[in-house]
Amino acid sequence: MLWKKMFRDILSSKGSYLACLVLVLIGLVVFTSFSILRENLSFSKEYFYREQNFAHGFVELECMPRGEVERLSRIEGISDISGRMVKEVRVHELRPEASVYLKLVSLDLAELRRVNDVLLLQGDELAAGEEELDAWIDNQFFEANGLELYQELEIIAGGSLKRVTLAGVGMSPEFTYPLRDLKEIYPNPEQFGIAFLSLEDMEALFPETRGRVNDLVFTLEPGADFERVKERLETELEQYGLRTVYPREEQVSHLILTEEIKQIGNMSRVLPLLFLFIAGVILYIMLKRLVEQQRGQIGIMKAFGYTDTEVVVHYLSYALLVGSIGGIAGGIIGIVLAAPLTGLLLEFFNVPEVYESFALRYLLTGLLLSVAVFLFSGYHGCKQVLKLKPAEAMRPPAPAFAGKTFLESVHFFWEMLTIQGKMAVRNLSRNRSRTFFLFLGIMVSCAVVAMTWSLNDMIDKLIFFQFEEVETYDAKITFNAPADRKKVERELQGVPEVMWAEPVLEVPVKLSHRWLEEDVLLLGLTGPGRLYNILDASGRRITPSEEGLILSERLADNLEVSIGSTLELESPLLHSDDDKVEVVVVEIVPQYVGMNAYMELAALEEILKRGELATSFLVNVGDPPAAPEGGGGDGGNAISALRDRYREAGMVTGVDGREERLEQTRELMETFGVAVYLYVFIGVITCFSIIYSASFITLSERSRELASMMVLGMTTREVFAVITFEQWFVSVFAMVAGLPLAMLMQWGFAREMTTDLYTVPASLTPESFLMALLITTLSIWLAQRFVLRGIEKLSLVDVLKTRE
Amino acid sequence: MAKLLIEARNIKKRYQMGEVIVYALRGVDFTLYEKELVVVLGPSGSGKSTLLNIIGGMDRASEGEFYFGDFHLHEASERQLTYYRRNEVGFIFQFYNLMPNLTAYENIDLSAQIAENPLDIDGLLEQVGLSERRDHFPSQLSGGEQQRVAIARGLAKNPRMLLCDEPTGSLDLASGIQVLKLLRDFCDDYQKTVVIITHNTEISKMADRVVYLKDGLVDKVEINDSPLSAEQVSW
Ligand SMILES: Nc1ncnc2c1ncn2[C@@H]1O[C@H](COP(=O)(O)OP(=O)(O)O)[C@@H](O)[C@H]1O
Ligand SMILES: [Mg+2]
Repeated sequence: MLWKKMFRDILSSKGSYLACLVLVLIGLVVFTSFSILRENLSFSKEYFYREQNFAHGFVELECMPRGEVERLSRIEGISDISGRMVKEVRVHELRPEASVYLKLVSLDLAELRRVNDVLLLQGDELAAGEEELDAWIDNQFFEANGLELYQELEIIAGGSLKRVTLAGVGMSPEFTYPLRDLKEIYPNPEQFGIAFLSLEDMEALFPETRGRVNDLVFTLEPGADFERVKERLETELEQYGLRTVYPREEQVSHLILTEEIKQIGNMSRVLPLLFLFIAGVILYIMLKRLVEQQRGQIGIMKAFGYTDTEVVVHYLSYALLVGSIGGIAGGIIGIVLAAPLTGLLLEFFNVPEVYESFALRYLLTGLLLSVAVFLFSGYHGCKQVLKLKPAEAMRPPAPAFAGKTFLESVHFFWEMLTIQGKMAVRNLSRNRSRTFFLFLGIMVSCAVVAMTWSLNDMIDKLIFFQFEEVETYDAKITFNAPADRKKVERELQGVPEVMWAEPVLEVPVKLSHRWLEEDVLLLGLTGPGRLYNILDASGRRITPSEEGLILSERLADNLEVSIGSTLELESPLLHSDDDKVEVVVVEIVPQYVGMNAYMELAALEEILKRGELATSFLVNVGDPPAAPEGGGGDGGNAISALRDRYREAGMVTGVDGREERLEQTRELMETFGVAVYLYVFIGVITCFSIIYSASFITLSERSRELASMMVLGMTTREVFAVITFEQWFVSVFAMVAGLPLAMLMQWGFAREMTTDLYTVPASLTPESFLMALLITTLSIWLAQRFVLRGIEKLSLVDVLKTRE
Repeated sequence: MAKLLIEARNIKKRYQMGEVIVYALRGVDFTLYEKELVVVLGPSGSGKSTLLNIIGGMDRASEGEFYFGDFHLHEASERQLTYYRRNEVGFIFQFYNLMPNLTAYENIDLSAQIAENPLDIDGLLEQVGLSERRDHFPSQLSGGEQQRVAIARGLAKNPRMLLCDEPTGSLDLASGIQVLKLLRDFCDDYQKTVVIITHNTEISKMADRVVYLKDGLVDKVEINDSPLSAEQVSW
């Protein structure tokens, strides 16, 4: 019998229960799918690392004899160590419109326990000592460029064109998220890939490197201390031009993959709780109202001899029903979604898929969680049943004292309100907890939308800032080793396409301050340059200093230095007489992508004492007057011409067009946009369900009042305005309060997201807040359409017939 | 002869209750003149409220014709009905139906605000004897006081007629008589048409005309040449 009553009750307020259900459903979908996703990712990652013996430590140096590696393996704490030759080369004519690069990594075929071993996906083992040069190519590059097995690739190595056969396709734990340089945010497999060659083939490509390595990767013995090993390596390798020793935690691919997994984990906890919380509050309010409305029925049930427990269980069964339907359905959808999501992410992070799904566990946890939340809020919603004596229950509740509200003492404000306004304010202040919930819900939804939108804006801005404000060159010509600056300058003067050129000297340095140290790239830039701008917080251009270093904010924070502090600088490029030199910090500037130090070029050359050097040139191009096509304007032709000119030059690693990079980054960013829409959707759903249920409750609680107004001759619109006035009144304050909350969230998020790779600005963009206002307003408006329909359907006669 | 205000012919009201059809009104002819006080008398369930709701534009008849002057209420739109309620009708219910969140004054004001030429609120409060209780909320007023506020509210719009559904139904004798006296006074002083629904025969003695309703049909209509004053009525 009671079941029938329950179904009828639920049906009569199906909208609100549906809202609860949808919220639980979304919460549980996110919970199960993201939990499983996190676990799959994490498990696949660990499995991949274990199987391929992924390194704990990474060393970059000038070069050292290969024989020395064996000696290093005896350092206490090192388990396995592999010495490798790593070189970047250009691929010849793979894509007509852009430069394509390959990072070549040598593999010692004789090694038994190779560190960072490659997982061969298809093709053959690498064979050494043959005439032909064999390589394994990374799978993403392989696919992105539509390559075929056993195809030949032409690369420019050491100034000459060489052919390499693709013997196989593989994956390495070291390159799950391969970035060509840290200024890139996304991998770009069309233009950058990894190729693995045998040591012998590598030496055939670069005869001058015979018997040498420039890169070490090692694993640690269980329990070994990385810092101790690092110290040993630093002393051992100093003579070989050590550049940097860093732990796995700082390795780019690992760092980004780990961060992503961490964030998915956070999302799998925070989002579902948010949704369950809102659903719980709605349910609480619904049940509380139901019990108030059904006082009489409860009294009769009790008078019949139903026990308190039976009555409470009856009302709790509403909660249980919604909680378990939402829980089970959400869990199942979540499980179904988890597989494609995992596939998508693992493909994005080049990690082989290994399933170890505990789907059922998350389904049960999620179900338990939602049922628990609902029973809790449901119990609190209907616990007043316990207090009612049967006789008391059948009487109507004592009228709540209707006193004046605080706002009425604010005279001028009160006088401004219409009668409807006065009603609204009194209603709000008499239902404080409900008003507060409404307020909270709208505030949070507004903040979530604002923050997400802002983040999207930010990343847009970040890219814009980097490509439009900082790097204003058309192309960058990079050399494979520091070159004679003057000589190149003269050479470039003779190139018709080049309108303007500025040298850059990029020096890997270790900066230390007290016990803190950072390995970064120090950029030597010319005086008041035009093509690479250092900008301060207010966007003013800063001239690279001759007196000392300009540091990026993040770098300064990491080293705990301020303007005027003295740093120690070490570098493999320092003249061998100098161990380290002291430099002063003269300026600290924001930098969104990467983490660098800057100095005036000539001053840097003076420190290095190696003469006039440049590692790359930034150029602005224009079509030469004699260009066959004429005009052109965007410099695209000029860049191709420039690229053709240096195609065969051994010294030039590549010519990068800025426009192409900007374009590619933009394209890649669009995938990120999906996440933004997801969050906005979440904000809208939240806002909508809160307003919807609030209105619904108002409608059913105050139908008598509303009907009376209509009898007085108010139109549906006028009656509707009474309810909406209340909601807008709260909403305006809530949305305004959403601003500081969004700022706080953005600040927290920026702190979480900021790494040495990129800095996420902690400020909220005004546009995003306007957008959030718009979206929140729209969802409130939408929810209110349902209320209007409810009022239109209100039957005056039926409502007013019964007594209060 | 007074002017005709409302003329209803052959009004029927059906309710579909699952399989069966219930008739609340089976063909009622009903006329209402200006400035008269009419009592509709009938046992519980005879269709009094249904008839009043239809006259007041709160409900629609299933069949029949119904004129307010030249205005065909039976074919009026929702919007026209709303404006009919707004400008021509004041309702008074058994359970007052005041806005719990508004004071006595504000409750009357709410109604006055939507009217074309409303009456003075303080004057009305004075007349119903509640000037002192102006800023009190309904929950701070007794039933009789609440009903007096409701009458003032109904009248504030300055409508042509006041329709009262068992206005004394939940009041004690003294408060009931006070309410009836007010209704009589308003009928005379403001020249309003007042319809009072009741199952109490005593009240019908103060009417100008009494319509007897029985089983959804008009049983008889009596003209009362010498109506009693409210004070003379007692039950
Ligand atoms: N919504 C409804 N559904 C079904 N029957 C109704 C409805 N409203 C009224 N009735 C029936 O119509 C008849 C007349 O009701 P009503 O006009 O309220 O009587 P009165 O006011 O004279 O007591 C009653 O028999 C009642 O049961
Ligand atoms: Mg009745």
